[in-house]
Amino acid sequence: MHDLLDDYAHSNALRDTSPRLKLLLGLGAILLCVASATPIAPLFIAITISLITLILAKIPGRFYSTLLLIPFSFSLLSAVVVAFMHGGGDQLFAFNVFGIDLGIREDGANLALLLIARTFGGMCSLFFIALTTPMIEIFSICKSLGLPDFLVELSMLMYRYIFVFLDQAAMIHNAQVMRLGDAGIKNSLNSFSMLSSVLFLRSWEQGERLIIAMDARCYNGKLDLMEQSGKAEPKAIFAMMGYIAMIAAIAVLTRDIRLL
Amino acid sequence: MTFILETRNIGYNYGDGTKALMDVSISLEEGRKIALVGPNGAGKSTLMLMFNGILRPTSGEVLFRGQPLRYDSASLRDIRRKVGMVFQNSDDQLFAPTVYQDVAFGPVNLGFPEDKVKKYAGYALQYVGLSGYERRPPHHLSGGEKKRVSIAGILAMEPEVLILDEPTSNLDPVSSEEIMEMLDELNYGGKTMIISTHDVDLAYRWADEVILMEDGGVLHRGTGQEVFGDAELIKRARLKLPIVVDLYKELVGRGLLNGSKPPRNVLELTDLLESSTRGTTSQEVPGKIYICNMDGSDLGGGIKGILEKSRVSYTGAMGTNAKIMAEQARIPLDFTYGVIDKCILKALTGKNSLIMTSGGMVDHSIKRIRVYCEESGAKIEAVKLSSLAESSVSSDRREISSQKDSTKPAEVAQ
Repeated sequence: MHDLLDDYAHSNALRDTSPRLKLLLGLGAILLCVASATPIAPLFIAITISLITLILAKIPGRFYSTLLLIPFSFSLLSAVVVAFMHGGGDQLFAFNVFGIDLGIREDGANLALLLIARTFGGMCSLFFIALTTPMIEIFSICKSLGLPDFLVELSMLMYRYIFVFLDQAAMIHNAQVMRLGDAGIKNSLNSFSMLSSVLFLRSWEQGERLIIAMDARCYNGKLDLMEQSGKAEPKAIFAMMGYIAMIAAIAVLTRDIRLL
Repeated sequence: MTFILETRNIGYNYGDGTKALMDVSISLEEGRKIALVGPNGAGKSTLMLMFNGILRPTSGEVLFRGQPLRYDSASLRDIRRKVGMVFQNSDDQLFAPTVYQDVAFGPVNLGFPEDKVKKYAGYALQYVGLSGYERRPPHHLSGGEKKRVSIAGILAMEPEVLILDEPTSNLDPVSSEEIMEMLDELNYGGKTMIISTHDVDLAYRWADEVILMEDGGVLHRGTGQEVFGDAELIKRARLKLPIVVDLYKELVGRGLLNGSKPPRNVLELTDLLESSTRGTTSQEVPGKIYICNMDGSDLGGGIKGILEKSRVSYTGAMGTNAKIMAEQARIPLDFTYGVIDKCILKALTGKNSLIMTSGGMVDHSIKRIRVYCEESGAKIEAVKLSSLAESSVSSDRREISSQKDSTKPAEVAQ
């Protein structure tokens, strides 16, 4: 059962910590990652936030590392491209392919490092939010921040039905695989197109049933929100502020250090 | 007399002209348990959707307490509050991202103030035994739990009539028995219950009144015994006989039994068999049935004491709260559904049993046992144990004597 981000959001050890605090911590870290001029602060953030996620929130390391593999693979790919594309500084490395000189210069390497570090730090912070804070609490924060009701309520309904359709898609996929719908590329593509169209029709029908269900319970344009859980404890607030101040300080103090 | 729900010659056509219902006139009495049975496509669901105005009949009219339904939005809100409907597929009904939000949906839209919403939703969740599930998202619940939340969402609006479309489909046997027992409890609390089902055994055992439907019309209506006694009719409606009736008919056919009416349940069938083979019903001294009111706290230890002292061989819990308390006190339960009948059956074999239940269900149990004794001539003693917590705070004499009851029930009973 534990294979969705959402499942962990509901069962992690930081579940009852104030969602505002978790959101501030995550968003603060993301902003600092983007603002930092060198890879040092983002790397520090990536390591510390990962430790928080693994140790404090008790998210299994295996799951977390597979999760990180996704951003890691694409940031590595783009970093390689960036490294080759930017000139300036000393030549670090070069080779010749069919008469064309390809090389990495200092600036390019630095930029690539920064890119990887920022992506990594940012993704770790985002995963921290996603793994510790259930969507519903984020919705209620959105509402208290003055986002229009219809937007929040629509997102809530969408969120709820993602799981219904996920289940349905899995069932349709199983039904297809059972009858060898995944044998060969042509078959797979065909099956996938059928799955998509059926899912579309089903979601349409589901929408109609949803209206009936809401009407049957006297829908009058109101959807209640959960009251917010866990008031922030002073200790937690100070810890959060301390952490943000620390990474901000690191970002400022290391702004002139060049790794290469 | 006025009926709580009535249909007069209603018909319904789908957009393509298919007739889903034709000339259906039925009247439902308040406070009864009614089962609509019939094959797929008989029009059960369509009929149910008419009861709270979700579908509007193409001809004829629906009446609630003698008043024809009106279809303006204010009247519809009113009827939908009084006639609550639980859909067959829980995922259609549970659209909110958390259990609490879903249960609170009705009260919020009825415009209740916040504390009232909280009170009603909390009460409804407690009733279905899901307190503490407030923050869970529906996709983390089991099928039985989803059904309970669906029911809680309707209960929070305090309806007078509860309509459930196939309440036990997709549930495992114990979950479905527990849901049905909850419906019994609600009915005992005064709510009119209407269910639709294919499960003939369930309809036969549970319902006061069975409405047999076929092809958009009502084929027959009456008590379970009347409707299911007619094998031809059942065959025509593409149903089968409840196992009890089937067995009874075969036994009559072999000349082992004679009787005019099929038995309602296993208990009655056993009695019939016994009286025809032995000539009389049980000659042994029957066992006793202790009934304990679980309202109030700290009962666990007390009940364990009773279990040790009074040679109780079987225990059963009736009602969600009693079950939860029994679980908390780690009392092993032999029966969690059909408890009274099971205990009577065990009493007839000379074994003592204990029923844990709460509130009005205590008197209900005693009444049920007394009625059974009058009908069958058996002499089963039902001993009512007052809650220990209650008796310890009160100095009333009656309470003191009942405290004796609960500490030494075996003595008092002799």
